Amino acid sequence: MAEEEVKSTRPQGVAPAPNPKANGPQPGSPSLSAPANKPEVGPKPKGKAADDKEMVFVWPHLVSIEAIASLFFIFSLSLMSLLVNAPLRNLANPELTPNPSKAPWYFLGLQELLLHMHPALAGVIVPTAVLILLAAIPYIDSDRRGSGYWFSTRNGVRITVFAALYTMVWELALIILDEFIVPVEKATTLILESGEKLSVSPGVHWMNPHGLSHGIKPLFLHLFGRAPLTVAIGEIFIPSLLMVLIPYLLWHLIKRRYQANTRELMISMYSFFIASFVLLTIIGTAFRGHSMALMWPWHITPPIGI
Amino acid sequence: MGLWDRIKSTRLYKSIYRNDYPDTPRNQVLVILNSMVLHLHPVKIPKKQVRYTFTFGLGGTSLLMFLILTLTGVWLMFYYVPSIPGAWFSMKALQTDVYFGQFARNLHRWAAHGMVIAVLLHMTRVFYTGSYKPPREFNWAMGVVLLLLTFLLSFTGYLLPWDQLAYWAITVGSNMAKATPFIGAQVQLMLLGGYEIGQATLIRWYTLHVIFLPLAAMLLMGMHFWRVRKDGGISTPIPYDEDEAEFPPQPEAAAD
Repeated sequence: MAEEEVKSTRPQGVAPAPNPKANGPQPGSPSLSAPANKPEVGPKPKGKAADDKEMVFVWPHLVSIEAIASLFFIFSLSLMSLLVNAPLRNLANPELTPNPSKAPWYFLGLQELLLHMHPALAGVIVPTAVLILLAAIPYIDSDRRGSGYWFSTRNGVRITVFAALYTMVWELALIILDEFIVPVEKATTLILESGEKLSVSPGVHWMNPHGLSHGIKPLFLHLFGRAPLTVAIGEIFIPSLLMVLIPYLLWHLIKRRYQANTRELMISMYSFFIASFVLLTIIGTAFRGHSMALMWPWHITPPIGI
Repeated sequence: MGLWDRIKSTRLYKSIYRNDYPDTPRNQVLVILNSMVLHLHPVKIPKKQVRYTFTFGLGGTSLLMFLILTLTGVWLMFYYVPSIPGAWFSMKALQTDVYFGQFARNLHRWAAHGMVIAVLLHMTRVFYTGSYKPPREFNWAMGVVLLLLTFLLSFTGYLLPWDQLAYWAITVGSNMAKATPFIGAQVQLMLLGGYEIGQATLIRWYTLHVIFLPLAAMLLMGMHFWRVRKDGGISTPIPYDEDEAEFPPQPEAAAD
């Protein structure tokens, strides 16, 4: 059935383009990046092809799918509601701060940002900018072509995967850097959980923070003193720079590597957004324990005071 | 004449359903045109759009979640008291004293998470199929506002049980709002209805949750669906050859 349809989208007499990579685009999907006279572009969909315009009645073809999907979701939600209870913790107590106190899961990405930068940036400016940029996508990529197909172009899937991996590697590296880099101003003796004593000399260390202030911001204070300007550099300037630089580099990498057009650049930017959202949400949900310290999910204990 | 045929021949039945069961092309057209719910659809659509893996039905699933949330939400309002600390006790009572109270609350909670997930996935589907492209730009922008409304609906509901989870999530949230450049203090005052989280905050978020945000979401959803129809239904591939002159290739494409 599906195979029939795929075939039917090909204009008659046009052979399918050779497709060396298994996860290449579907036959018939257009490549926006190549000009019309290149034969390897693959067949273009032609509106005139009668098969492409085959119409079906909404009743029953669509209405039945909607009914089945609705029943499926109602049934699944009911089943879940029978098995898992919604949480109701202790009565609110302004005197007792739970540790950790986390936002609902969909805001944990933002709460993760909050650990690394100024709250105005993490809580207000970044989400506002993200919403505005999302809404702006169709006004930047205003070419009508490439709609109605998954990933639009020959390189769409590859760009998505590349951008997602690129984003995750950057962000994981930064999170780990911010967690384990510990500047120490004067000689300190730490008492570890095992009771062991550990002498730490002044300087910049790479270690588990053990409650010492850690990360890029204190490193900056350590190196350049505590003037308001250096505080601002650590918690506003450097994070802003990174948040612009990482997608900016991605944009140019995609452009050079894939000779990307605007649609493909948008794919890389959206993939950057969605990969960041997913990664930061997972880190915030499953890898942050007491005092929002980075830890493995199996080391996380239930919050205190909740 | 069977009983069913007799019912169908009554004036009452005919006043409700204006066409016979839709098993002929004529009635398949009429059922869509005559029904308020179904007339959101066109009568016929391209076969490709019916394929589940093109849309995964995510927009419809978001709407379904919203409908479940509306129904269970109205039901919860019969029992919920927006006072401090009465709210928490009414939740306790709901779970222990009311028939299906726990079940209805669970349904509301899980559908709320479901809606956030469905809306996010719907946006992602629309993006990767290029369905934001003209003429659908404005509908995409409206969709971004609907995403924001979904987050706000979910977050305002999070406060209402008045438990530790709720109280401290709001504390974190309103402290972040306080960090807004230049107008932080005013924004926080507006969100809390005072200088600290209390009765005024609860009433504010309750009103937003049960009236203002749902009305705003419904209005925008109506416009969103209407625009889907006005912009030619869900996206289909543009026939290239016809459009090439009208929409010249992108500069990047022309360059190589």
